[in-house]
Amino acid sequence: MHAFHIHYRNTQGTLMRILTAVSRRGLEMFYVQTCADGHGQRASLLLDVNSKQIGQLCRDWYAIVDVIDVRVGTPTAEMLDSATGLPNAHPPTSASASEPNASAAMA
Amino acid sequence: MLRGAEIFLQCLRGEDVDLVFGYPGGAIMPLYDALDGSGIRHVLTRHEQGAVFAAEGHARATGKVGVAIATSGPGATNLVTGIADAKMDSVPLVCITGQVRSSLIGSDAFQETDVFGLTLSLTKWSRLVRSIEEIPAVIAEGFYWAREGRPGPVVIDIPTDFLKAKMEFAGPVKFTPKPRPSDSAAEAAFGDKLISLLQKAERPVALIGAGAKLSGAISELRSLLDELNIPTFATVHGLGAVEPEAPYYLGMVGMHGTRAANMALHENDLLLVFGARLDDRVTGDPTRFAPHSRIVHFEIDPAQLDRVRACELPIIGDLAKTIPAFHKKLPSAKLPDWNGWRAVACGEDRAELDPRGLSQPTIRFLDELFGRLTQNSVVIADVGQHQMWAAQRYRSASPRGFITSGGLGSMGFALPAAVGVQLSKPDATVLCVSGDGGFQMNIQELATVRRLNLPIKMVIVDNKYLGMVRQWQQLFYQRNYAETDLSDNPDFVEIAKAYRINAVRVQEDVMREYPVTEDTADTLERFLRSPEPELLVFDCAPEANVYPMVPAGAALSEMLFEEE
Repeated sequence: MHAFHIHYRNTQGTLMRILTAVSRRGLEMFYVQTCADGHGQRASLLLDVNSKQIGQLCRDWYAIVDVIDVRVGTPTAEMLDSATGLPNAHPPTSASASEPNASAAMA
Repeated sequence: MLRGAEIFLQCLRGEDVDLVFGYPGGAIMPLYDALDGSGIRHVLTRHEQGAVFAAEGHARATGKVGVAIATSGPGATNLVTGIADAKMDSVPLVCITGQVRSSLIGSDAFQETDVFGLTLSLTKWSRLVRSIEEIPAVIAEGFYWAREGRPGPVVIDIPTDFLKAKMEFAGPVKFTPKPRPSDSAAEAAFGDKLISLLQKAERPVALIGAGAKLSGAISELRSLLDELNIPTFATVHGLGAVEPEAPYYLGMVGMHGTRAANMALHENDLLLVFGARLDDRVTGDPTRFAPHSRIVHFEIDPAQLDRVRACELPIIGDLAKTIPAFHKKLPSAKLPDWNGWRAVACGEDRAELDPRGLSQPTIRFLDELFGRLTQNSVVIADVGQHQMWAAQRYRSASPRGFITSGGLGSMGFALPAAVGVQLSKPDATVLCVSGDGGFQMNIQELATVRRLNLPIKMVIVDNKYLGMVRQWQQLFYQRNYAETDLSDNPDFVEIAKAYRINAVRVQEDVMREYPVTEDTADTLERFLRSPEPELLVFDCAPEANVYPMVPAGAALSEMLFEEE
C-alpha cells in the first residue's frame, strides 16, 4: 500500500481528473480525503500499486494543469484503519447470490 | 455593451482564430447569430464529427489551434471521438459547446448533457463557463493550454444565456500560468551523461516520433542526425521529420514497419527516443522490446516516460531546446566508429519490404499516385490497411506532409480532415486515401467538399471488406470473417455523382502492367491535376494483406512476410 498526496489548485474538474487517473487503471481507492492545504487543496489517496504504476500515476497527475505537487509516502494509521475491512478489490469479485445483501438487492 | 457571443468571437480573433468548423443547434444559436462580421470564417460540416476532424486537419496541417463548434447534448457528444483523437495525437484543439441556459443545468433539460464531465478524461483542460464576465479569461486560458507543452484538446462549455447577456468589454485578455515549484528543474544538464552513454554504445539507433515535429525542431534534429549518422527510424507520426533519402534512415518502425527498422530497434544497445510515446504498436511485446537497449528519452511530457520500461536518461523539455543543447556537446566528444553497425542495419539484405510485396497491385497503385505528387502535397490517410500501405510507401520530406489518426485510429477521419487541410493549404495537392469502410463513416462530408469546391483528391481503396480486421481474422481467427464483409457496398462512383463530384473507377488489373499503360497514366494525371474535387475508386483484391506485420504479442523481430 502506498499513500499519495496531491497538492492542487481547486479549479473545475481538477479533483475529478486526479481520481480518473486512478479509476481508468481499474485500481481501487481504499482511502480518499481532500482538505485545504495552504493556497490550494490536498488530495490523499491510499492505493495498492506496483512501482511502475507509481511512476505512471505520479506523471499523469503532474500532467494535470492545476496539480502543483505530487508526493508518495507511507500510509498513515488513519489511512490503514480506513482500508481495513474493505474487500480485496482487484480484480473485482461478484457477491454470491446467496448472500443476504445480494438477495435483497435482487429482490 | 456587447453580447456574450460577440465578446466570445472577439476573444477568438484575439487568439488568431480566423477559421472554425461547426454545426449549429439550439443552445449555440446566439454564437452563430453573431458570426456575421466577426472576421471568423465558419465552415458548416454535415456532422459534428466532421467538424472536429476538419478542425484537427487544420491544426495538423498548420500547427495552429483548430476550433470546432457544436450545440449541447448530441452536438457535443458527437465531438467526443475527435477530442479523444486529438488527445492521443497531441493536436491543439479547442471545442466550443453550447449548453442549456444556466438556470436549467442539472435538470435534465432538453439536449442537456454533462459535456464537461463526459470529456474530463479526454481533455487537457476544460471549463463550464459560469458567467459572462468569465468569457475572456476562459478563452485565453483554454487556448494557452491547447498550445502549451504537449498540445492537446480543450473543451469550453458555455450556457446559452451567457451568450445572450450583455456587458462592457475592454478586449481580449492574456493568460499567464502560475509556476510550479519543480518546473525549474525540467531542463537540467544532461549532455555529459548522454555523451558517456554514446561512447559506450556499440549499436546506437534513433527513434523519431511526433514530438520532434511538434517542437518545430526539424532542422536541428536533421542536423544532429546527420552528424550522429546512426540508424534512424520513425513512428507513423514521425514520418517526414527525417529526409527519406538520408542514408541512415530506415523508414517506419512498428507493427507494419520496415524489416530494417524493426530489426534495428530490436538489436540496438542504445535507443535515443525523440518525442515518441513508445506505444504498443511501436514496441510489440513490451517484455521483449529492445531487450539489449539502454533508453535515452527526449520528451516534453513527463507522463510519457517509462511507460514500457524505465529509461536510463530522461531528458525532459522542449526538443527545440534540448536537441541543440545536446548537439553543442558533440564536437568535443570522441565517439566510437559505428560504420560496421550501420552497414548491418542499413544493408541491402534488410530491404524495406519483401520483394513480392512491391508487386502487389495496391502498393503499385499508391506508388504510381505518390510518385506523381509534388513536394507541396499532403497525404491524409484514414485507418486500416490502406493507411499502413500509405505510411509505408509515401516518402514525404515535409514534417506536415503525411497526416493520419495514429493513436486513436479513428475510422472516418480522413475525408473531413482533408477538408481542414485543403482550406489551410489552398495551393497544395491534398490526397485523401480511405478504405471503403472508413469512407462511409463520414461520407456526408462530400457535401462540404462540393459546397466549398475544394479540389481534394479522394481515393477509396475498395476491397469490400473491413480489410485490416479481416486480415487479423485470416491470420489469427482461422479465416472466420465475422461481420467484416462489405460486398454490398454502394456504388461509390454513383454516390459521388449524386454530390456532383467527378468520379472514376480503376481496376487493380491495370496495375499488373509494367509500366502502366498510357491510359492508366492519363487517368491518374487527370485525377491529380484537376482543379475540381475528384474521387477515384480503386478496386482491390479482397484478401490483399499488409506486410511486414508484427503479430500482437510478438517481438519486433518476429515479423510475418506472407500468409501461413
